[in-house]
Amino acid sequence: MDCSYFRKRINQYVDGELGYLEVAELQAHLSFCPDCATELAQVGAVRGALAGWGRLELAPPPAFGERVTAAVEREPAPGTQKLLGQVFEDVLQKLDDTLGAVPLPGGRTIPVKNLIGWGLAAAAVIIGIESAHGRRSRELKPL
Amino acid sequence: MTPSNLHKWASLPDPSPADLARATAGDTQAFTLIVERYQGMVYSVAFNVLGNHTDAEDAAQEAFLRCYRKLPQYRSEASFSTWLFRLALTAAVDYRRREKARPEPVDVPDVAGDATPELGEGLDAVTIVAALGDLPEDYRVPTVLRDVYGLPYQEIAEVTGRPLGTVKVMVHRGRASLRLKLKTARGEA
Repeated sequence: MDCSYFRKRINQYVDGELGYLEVAELQAHLSFCPDCATELAQVGAVRGALAGWGRLELAPPPAFGERVTAAVEREPAPGTQKLLGQVFEDVLQKLDDTLGAVPLPGGRTIPVKNLIGWGLAAAAVIIGIESAHGRRSRELKPL
Repeated sequence: MTPSNLHKWASLPDPSPADLARATAGDTQAFTLIVERYQGMVYSVAFNVLGNHTDAEDAAQEAFLRCYRKLPQYRSEASFSTWLFRLALTAAVDYRRREKARPEPVDVPDVAGDATPELGEGLDAVTIVAALGDLPEDYRVPTVLRDVYGLPYQEIAEVTGRPLGTVKVMVHRGRASLRLKLKTARGEA
């Protein structure tokens, strides 16, 4: 008898992945195929032994806890590691808090951190233009 | 159907909210209490995924460091042990991706307490550990996650970064290979 169709189903069966009709079909086959029934029993035994093994708590090596604690003590406190962008934002906020806002004509104000941000953006644009200009000058220079 | 071993670990008592708050604020003594309570669980997970003591110790330490760094992200909707269990699994699987397995002789760790492993079918801990250790790496990790810890296939696919269908095939092959090895170990033909 070619049991390959049912052998493939045995794993799905133990995983609870077969539908009602597929289960009925497999069970009917198992009732008269001792080889497939044995395979199912063996797969079940392996899974049972593995699950039993997984329920055991293994003892860590001696002084494991002390080593972990020593490594944790070298760490910064949780939540204190920030991205560079967050650090920059914090610095700007501190400046803003310290220097306040710059008054504009008409009674309006502008936060210092916005001015700094615009200043940095303008500097980046100028540097970019300068560098492009310099490159073009070098390219056009006669040999 | 074998019940998931996640349920066993989820029954460990959670640290008190006060201890958690102290550890989250950077109190390493409070975190030491967490390490003492959960080191058996974290080490067990790392050993079962990695299969040797040296790698398991490194990965278990990495799991606790990740736990410490991520304490502010812990939300009490899930039990702390379940949250830490998943961190430990991920740390062990990531470790295996990064590092090659170190060849070590089969050495079964002591079981915490006085429990004598009762694994049934004439199988003992040495046989199980040796059979798992003989599995190719690609089969071993998904098989451990599925049959030792009872994780759903979808979650195994996410943790290992492999397609769902591939994970199922690997588990089925892992089981077939284990079945033959254990049959041989019991002296059956």
